[in-house]
Amino acid sequence: MSTAATGAAGAGRRAGDEPVLDVRGLHVRTRHTELLSDVDLTIRRGERVGLIGESGSGKSLTALAVLGLLGEGLTATGGVHLAGHEGNLLERSEGGLARIRGDDMAMVFQEPMTALNPTMRVGAQVAEAMTVHGSASRSQARRRAVDLLDQVGLPDPEHAARAYPHQLSGGQRQRVVAAIALANDPVLLVCDEPTTALDVTVQALVLDLIVTGVQSRDAALLFITHDLAVVATVCERVLVMYGGRIVEAGPVGQVFTDPRHQYTAGLLAASDLTAAGARRERSALPTIPGTVPPAGRFPDGCVFRNRCPAATGQCATRPPWTPRGDHGAGETASGYACFYPAGGELR
Amino acid sequence: MSEVASGEVVRSEAVSSEVPAIRLQDVGRDFRRPRRSLTQAPPVVHAVRGVTLDIERGERFGIVGESGSGKSTLLRMICGLDRPTSGSIEVEGRPIHNQPAARLGWLRHTLQLVFQDPMSSLDPRMRVRDIVAEPLVAQGQGSGAARRARVVELLEAVGLSADSADRYPHQFSGGQRQRISVARALAPGPDILVADEPVSALDVSVRAQVLNLIDDVVDGFDLTLVFVSHDLSVVRHVCDRVAVMRQGEFVEVAPTEQLYADPRHPYTQQLVSAIPDLHAALDGRAAADLARAVRERSPDA
Repeated sequence: MSTAATGAAGAGRRAGDEPVLDVRGLHVRTRHTELLSDVDLTIRRGERVGLIGESGSGKSLTALAVLGLLGEGLTATGGVHLAGHEGNLLERSEGGLARIRGDDMAMVFQEPMTALNPTMRVGAQVAEAMTVHGSASRSQARRRAVDLLDQVGLPDPEHAARAYPHQLSGGQRQRVVAAIALANDPVLLVCDEPTTALDVTVQALVLDLIVTGVQSRDAALLFITHDLAVVATVCERVLVMYGGRIVEAGPVGQVFTDPRHQYTAGLLAASDLTAAGARRERSALPTIPGTVPPAGRFPDGCVFRNRCPAATGQCATRPPWTPRGDHGAGETASGYACFYPAGGELR
Repeated sequence: MSEVASGEVVRSEAVSSEVPAIRLQDVGRDFRRPRRSLTQAPPVVHAVRGVTLDIERGERFGIVGESGSGKSTLLRMICGLDRPTSGSIEVEGRPIHNQPAARLGWLRHTLQLVFQDPMSSLDPRMRVRDIVAEPLVAQGQGSGAARRARVVELLEAVGLSADSADRYPHQFSGGQRQRISVARALAPGPDILVADEPVSALDVSVRAQVLNLIDDVVDGFDLTLVFVSHDLSVVRHVCDRVAVMRQGEFVEVAPTEQLYADPRHPYTQQLVSAIPDLHAALDGRAAADLARAVRERSPDA
């Protein structure tokens, strides 16, 4: 098992086009309600992919399903494949997943104070990530922990390693969480709103640290946020999620300058506070009518049709995925699911 | 700071003898930390230091700052919820810094607040009708029938239907709850609306709706707006003039466009250069560029 796994890992690391994370037809449901429906996503080595959407659209649930961290009462079906690991991660036992988590795939959570153990020194927490996965002996791990804290830009890392989380500022805590996530050189890093709780100046530094950490390891990044400007700053490709489905995907430049799905177009218009001219005259911001419905109350067919300005009777059937351009990561990497795409003359 | 003050003098002459909506003079607020040693005086935190400012009637004034900059402390003092340790605060020419809460009843007519989190600022066990009418009841304004009519009028003004008066806060979405908060704030007919991070808890599509609503009521009811936020792009959209706060002090006060186009203080420059911007990012500004700008422009460097 172990030799097979390392052999496959070696192959995965060499092949450039081999996806690091391959999610196919992921569904997550409670007993009564479907929360995620048919999510496909592929991330290649060294690729930084953003997942955007409003609260309640299913972004965090996607990340938790990939990492096998779904709560009680939620079941996931479909396929989740990680480079270097045979078989479907959804079918693995908790023990099997625990060996991968924190090792080949790692996560940075939104709130660093709850992600860190308040009773352990932060250096010990970084070292623990390495000792539990057997990637370093205790003394090696302790030395490497200080190096990692230095890499993520903590001042005086020797001293910082002996601090408890409450003695650090919010930005410093998030750096420690990033150090833990990067400790075992993961092939996939998942970040769930890592900078939402931080001030703008600190946010800029933490974003840089995440991008640098991922680039130097040539790892894949799945970056979840609701802030479009942050996605555009960090990622190369973006997935737009609404109502538990991916409604549009593509390179950041394409999706944000020339969106196809009506929801993406609405979201961009509503969040663009700096649109030149529009603000000096104090004209009203464009809005999306209504609000995001609670889980299970999304309409059938197109999930956005009850808020969509272009919806017709046709939208009661589910719009098929329309691939857009020829993207190297497959046809789910770029495209949209809409019958009446915005900027539709190119359809 | 002195330039700002002299600018104010010129401006208030221009609008003849009108009193500013809010006048702060050298306002400071100190907090004592617990004593650490028997032989030394307890350490003091200067949460707000020497803030001098006039906010004119009808102005939309923004205060930005990072967490811990003292913006909430300043706001609490402007609203009469806390008293400064030094300096004076006048609202429409009447001092509030030296008055006990019992003598600030008039301030609750004049100045009203919208809080950040509508879920924790609306009583979950009260119907919307009672929430919106509460400021009127507390001040003994109007008869029962008059208050009911006023509630319906207010709900319609903020874009809610009259039948929402019978429902409870949990039956509304975040954006609708913030509309209820605005309706409650408008109930006593204030001249000044103070909004403390009113859209930070909201989704992007709903944020636009609430910003439009604030815009409408400030115009429609002829209000003075004091808008506090950590989000510089929201403040830029809403406000005419912006103060940047750091470590309890105003480091820069300027008209919005000037502040963003030509920030003078190193801290303002750092703050402005750290905002991720969609258009700039699409033109190729990466996270490394933001971080470099922050490091280069650090006011402590």
